[in-house]
Amino acid sequence: MGGNRGSQIAVEGLSFTYPGADRQALSGVDIVFEQGQFYAILGRNGSGKSTLARCLNALLLPSAGTVTSCGLDTQDPGNSLDIRKRLSMVFQDPNTQIVGTTVEEEVAFGPENLGHPCGAIRERVNSSLELTGILGLVRSQPSRLSEGQKQLVAIAGALAMEPAFLISDESTSMLDNTARQRILELFLSLKEQGIGIIHVTHFLEEASMADRVVVLDDGRVTAESAPPDILFDPDKVRELGLDPLPVTLVAKEMSALGHPPAGPVLTVEELISCIRA
Amino acid sequence: MHPRLTLENVSYSYPLPGRGEAPALSSISLRVEPSEVLCIGGANGSGKSTLAQVCAGLLVPSSGSVHYLGKRVDGRKGLLGLRRKVGLLFQSPEDQLFADTIEKDISFGPRNHGLRGAELKERVREAAALFDFDLDRSGGKSPFALSEGEKRRVALAGVIALDPEVLILDEPFIGMDYDSRAHLQSLLERLRSRQGTSIVIVTHELATAWSLADRYAILSGGRLNLLQSRADLVSSEAELAPLGLRLPQWGVLANRLRRMGIAVDDPVDPRSLARAICSIREAGDGR
Repeated sequence: MGGNRGSQIAVEGLSFTYPGADRQALSGVDIVFEQGQFYAILGRNGSGKSTLARCLNALLLPSAGTVTSCGLDTQDPGNSLDIRKRLSMVFQDPNTQIVGTTVEEEVAFGPENLGHPCGAIRERVNSSLELTGILGLVRSQPSRLSEGQKQLVAIAGALAMEPAFLISDESTSMLDNTARQRILELFLSLKEQGIGIIHVTHFLEEASMADRVVVLDDGRVTAESAPPDILFDPDKVRELGLDPLPVTLVAKEMSALGHPPAGPVLTVEELISCIRA
Repeated sequence: MHPRLTLENVSYSYPLPGRGEAPALSSISLRVEPSEVLCIGGANGSGKSTLAQVCAGLLVPSSGSVHYLGKRVDGRKGLLGLRRKVGLLFQSPEDQLFADTIEKDISFGPRNHGLRGAELKERVREAAALFDFDLDRSGGKSPFALSEGEKRRVALAGVIALDPEVLILDEPFIGMDYDSRAHLQSLLERLRSRQGTSIVIVTHELATAWSLADRYAILSGGRLNLLQSRADLVSSEAELAPLGLRLPQWGVLANRLRRMGIAVDDPVDPRSLARAICSIREAGDGR
């Protein structure tokens, strides 16, 4: 894809080794992330998913190779502030991220640090609270909110930076279904607004909502494609250290009984509609 | 025969210093039978972790009672007795680990229960082996230098070394990949079938317990909302969404098929679901 370099994250020959470790956490990773696309990053424990996410916004720097985020080389220390403005990150546990005593203060923290004028900060805070649907919580104390609400506050804080990409490192894994659905819907609407979403997850149902699925194994990218190409084959999914979607296990048994579904199915609705067809 | 663990009208409130108390559980009645796998499901803040701690004798009910094998758990002696029978794995292994070596951490519980010498060593070795820890090689390492997944395995080995009759696991599968999850599932299955251990899985993600659990106790706002078998829970799909829970794809599919008039024997077996689907397709072809 020949997109504008300023709206991409280009990862070339990236290797990373943690200090003192005897093996590489990432080795020879080549991949391009485009703005306005939703990427799901999958892989077994220790495959390098979180390390890759942290290399994208210069929290970790390559041991070899390059990461060029929105046209900026992460290796150049002069770029790190600009990179983190364009690539915001949210983590698994929102409690590790929240510092403000009110939601408003929390969400304003990033833009304030960038030295924006008061009026502009207020505008950014309001619009990111509106995007995440928690404008009503503006005066609340973050510590009193539910885990799902806290995660939305963390995301609002990330969006107040008006980023080109939102990187989520398992931000849904501790949340209940209501909170998780809300965050996934938010990801889809942010994508429509042109923000690139890079979501590290263990859940294949979440990955099936993405435009592209990237699979890491032992520090290497072993697959990158549209969700059905990877997720529909339960044997391949298990080999990658992942839990196959139940629907794909049923589809495989249907094929064994001589009634394969018409095409790759990942959701219950897709399977049912092929029964009705 | 008495159930292993019985809760009768258990309520629990957390004391808020100077500001009264925060109710977390109200009037919960529940039984845990030998060799069963019970899933306690609930959204964030539903009271499920509090309930786990009451079952394990770490919290004393504000009202109501806990019974073990039909005998009411009473006083300090009763609580200590309950803790010998019921093992609890916390959600975060950091809450559980504290010794400076892996071996000491796993032996802490059984030593507290009075085991010494060769018997203690054997018990600890067995528990460690279940999780592929070779104590000769790694027993002297600090548990805090391990990865999250490994820490969880040490914490679990420490609980299993107590040889509990009831094993409660709070969100044991969060963040685990397929291989580690499959390993833990088969281990739990083995404990249940070989030793008759009762297993309680506490989770907000019903999918993680689906292939193991026979019964589901669903909590919301500190109350027990549903107590059902796996097959019955499938028909309660609509009630789960407002409680912040969802059926796994297995259940959603079985439910859709039922509504189309197709009976499904077991909403976890791909073959029986595939057969059910193929039967309508064949009927459709014959028209």
